[in-house]
Amino acid sequence: MTAAARPDAGVKLAGTAVFGTDLDVPGMLWAAFVPAPIAHGRIRSLDLRAARALPGVTVLGPDDLGRFFGPAERDQERSLFALGEVIYRNQPLAVVAAPSALEARAAVDAVKVEIDPLPIIADLETVFPDWPGSDADASPQVAAHVHARHGNVDDEFRGADRVVSETYRTASVHQVALEPHACVAEIRGDVWYVRTSTQSPFGVREDTASLLGIPESSIVVDGTWVGGGFGGKGSSFLEPYALILARATGRPVRFALGYREEFRLGRTTLPAVVRMETAVKDGRIRARRVRLLLDVGTSLPGRDFATGYSIGFLLGPYRTESFEVEGYAVRTNKPPFGPHRAPFAPQCAFVVESHLDHVAREMNLDGEEFRASHLWREGESTLLGQTIGPFGIAAAFERARATARAWRAEAAPGHGVGVGCGFWSTSTGAGGEVRLRLGPQRLVVLEGEREIGSGSVLAGLAAVASRVTGLPRDRVVIEYGNTAVAPYDSGVYGSRTLGALGRAIEEAAVALRRTVAERLGARGQAELSVERGEIYAEAGERRAALTLLLTPEEHDAGGLVADGRHYAPSRLIDDSRVLSGTFYPYTDFTGAAHVAEVVVDPETGAVRVVRYAAFHDAGTVVDAGAAQAQVEGGVAMGLGAALTEEAIWSDDGRLVNAGLLDYRIPTLGEIPPISVEFIEGFAGAGPFGAKGLGEPPIVPVPATVAIATRAACGAHVTELPLSAERVARALKLL
Amino acid sequence: MTPRPLRLNVNGTAEEIPDVPGPERLLDTLRWRLKLKGTKEGCRTGDCGACTVLVDGRSCLSCLTLAHEVDGSTVTTIEVGAEEVLVARVRAAFDTAGALQCGYCTPGFVMAVAGLLGERGTAAPREELLEGLGGNLCRCTGYAAIVRAVDLLRTEVP
Ligand code: FES
Ligand code: FES
Repeated sequence: MTAAARPDAGVKLAGTAVFGTDLDVPGMLWAAFVPAPIAHGRIRSLDLRAARALPGVTVLGPDDLGRFFGPAERDQERSLFALGEVIYRNQPLAVVAAPSALEARAAVDAVKVEIDPLPIIADLETVFPDWPGSDADASPQVAAHVHARHGNVDDEFRGADRVVSETYRTASVHQVALEPHACVAEIRGDVWYVRTSTQSPFGVREDTASLLGIPESSIVVDGTWVGGGFGGKGSSFLEPYALILARATGRPVRFALGYREEFRLGRTTLPAVVRMETAVKDGRIRARRVRLLLDVGTSLPGRDFATGYSIGFLLGPYRTESFEVEGYAVRTNKPPFGPHRAPFAPQCAFVVESHLDHVAREMNLDGEEFRASHLWREGESTLLGQTIGPFGIAAAFERARATARAWRAEAAPGHGVGVGCGFWSTSTGAGGEVRLRLGPQRLVVLEGEREIGSGSVLAGLAAVASRVTGLPRDRVVIEYGNTAVAPYDSGVYGSRTLGALGRAIEEAAVALRRTVAERLGARGQAELSVERGEIYAEAGERRAALTLLLTPEEHDAGGLVADGRHYAPSRLIDDSRVLSGTFYPYTDFTGAAHVAEVVVDPETGAVRVVRYAAFHDAGTVVDAGAAQAQVEGGVAMGLGAALTEEAIWSDDGRLVNAGLLDYRIPTLGEIPPISVEFIEGFAGAGPFGAKGLGEPPIVPVPATVAIATRAACGAHVTELPLSAERVARALKLL
Repeated sequence: MTPRPLRLNVNGTAEEIPDVPGPERLLDTLRWRLKLKGTKEGCRTGDCGACTVLVDGRSCLSCLTLAHEVDGSTVTTIEVGAEEVLVARVRAAFDTAGALQCGYCTPGFVMAVAGLLGERGTAAPREELLEGLGGNLCRCTGYAAIVRAVDLLRTEVP
């Protein structure tokens, strides 16, 4: 199928779309970090004098924070600069602004720092060489501990026909948005103003306010076009630094990261170890024990949502009588953990799918049949006691199996075909608001999210607005506002745009159509249509051009206004199953099953994916072109995580492969043909029953590739990524 | 190296730029001196292709090219108008195929495809064309729609 032309194609193909890196304000200065040269140590001295003596250079360090900070958070992890102690390599010690990039670099080089090294914890497995004991909670290395249980786990394990235990390891992966973080800050009177490439202007405002100890109302955040986010641009990062430099110098300040810094400082998925134990009796899973050690870098205790949230994706989507799950967030000397497209869920799916396929093989059962027969269905309950909503994963799995059978029948020798599945909770997160403005010729949707590329705003929200008003798509205009004028929205993350803002648009549209009907002297909602470029309204017996129904004030304001808001209803889990820490309910149950055909080089172990098919439950598909594009892109990103992507941290806490040459994302030639099919009929919480689709496509990919690889050559690889080396090792070629 | 003047023909306009330092990259000259921000800065190390422009019709990574190396050349960037027929056709194909999402790789891809087609012709074997795009990274599209755009251009062969 051909996708519909994207509404943003024009500016992006003309080169006129302004991204964060393109921002250019007359007289602006260029900023740079002074990075910590080691990963852990006590700062003996930080001498900024030589740098400050350079012409046109301003340097701000920890001692200057008092000039800007109110009673703000000043703990180690949240502080803008290392405070007395360095806790990860390249942690900012100070920040400089200079008339050019070159002069900024020279200023950074002129800073003299002396640091007494302290022992480094680089690898989470050195913290707990064995599983954490009962005293682990007291360890300063534990940022979070979650524990839940249900049923008679020990009895089930004792009475099982077979117990299968395995350990899996997954690598750190980076978002690799092609555009590095970039912003320009200015002080305009009393207003701290920053334009930035972000997934969440309101999130940046909130974060920056808390970091600088200034009220949110004095900060205005304006978005730009975003050159990819994938979770990496969800909260403030460079903005507070650019703002304090702008404040100190009285000049606009541009702060953009180089790509190496982007890798080194990026907050992303870090390594993990998972132990899986499964008890099987009469071909059924009776009990599971799941244990997780998740590296969270220097994330602050209590601020880590990753462990309790991510572990949820190790618990499904399969039925189990009894289970016990325990996870630890382990602190190491790395930058804090941060979200990466469906944070940690692809890794969870890899572990769950590979393990259950392995369990089936151990029992001489068919791996696909074994998994299919245990899949969650709507109306059942999750292991944490939440009722499962509309969920198309089993239907997707069946479609995937049928495709796999057909591919197997025609596969060349040495090729392997595998099916993997995965799920994600979409439409999550805090709420959103929109304002609709219906004028004589067009409908404006005013909102606070920028289109980050997925199409969820410009294609998705425009499609919703068109559908709920009956106006054609070309009459709908999406208008972004900065945080001073746009209605509040928490941002583009959690596959939530369509669910939250789509529902808010629905609500506002109903209000608009009611008001228009009233003005026609009728009840209910007016029907809107377009004739010779003018919007007409019809209700009851009457029909009129909209322009005649607006007051003079409304004409001046561009139209009739209505607001809509949507806050996702909270869901519940059964707290009696939780022994420690915080677990989270799922919002929309969004599932997918994928099929991969791979061939493995018998000498090197290199895996090549030959073709790929993706079956997705996305509820009601709102924009077919954008939906297909999301799946294609998500699968490609997942293939990177499956095969080549691995951020490698050395023993001294250094990111070894901080560049696109060594950290290998897929190139054009490495992506197989991908077919995409949607399984409809499982309604989500979004408008018309839509579910979010930004994140789910990446989730099943590493699992699917791993299962296909085992089918192709017998290699059971328990680590991600499935690099040639790891496959070769599993095949005992190395 | 002392700064010296640089002459370029950029998108049909003759540019005389005084005082360009010897080590300055073509990417920076275009973006910060000529304010042509359509050409994107990604890695600055030659690994992503976002900065691809045409120099005398051939595709070139502007981040790895010193401005003075191409003194006197004709440079074509994404900002070029419809008079540059091949670029216009590539743009139209990208539009029809929906071959972009965030759009950050797009200028580089468009120029790379235009350079490739200019050099090898629209009748070149598909594999050869796709291989020629291996240096341009896209994180959003999974390349699927980009490949569809290239196919549209290939089938346009008379
Ligand atoms: S910026 Fe030139 S190749 Fe990446
Ligand atoms: S469209 Fe985002 S990197 Fe290609």
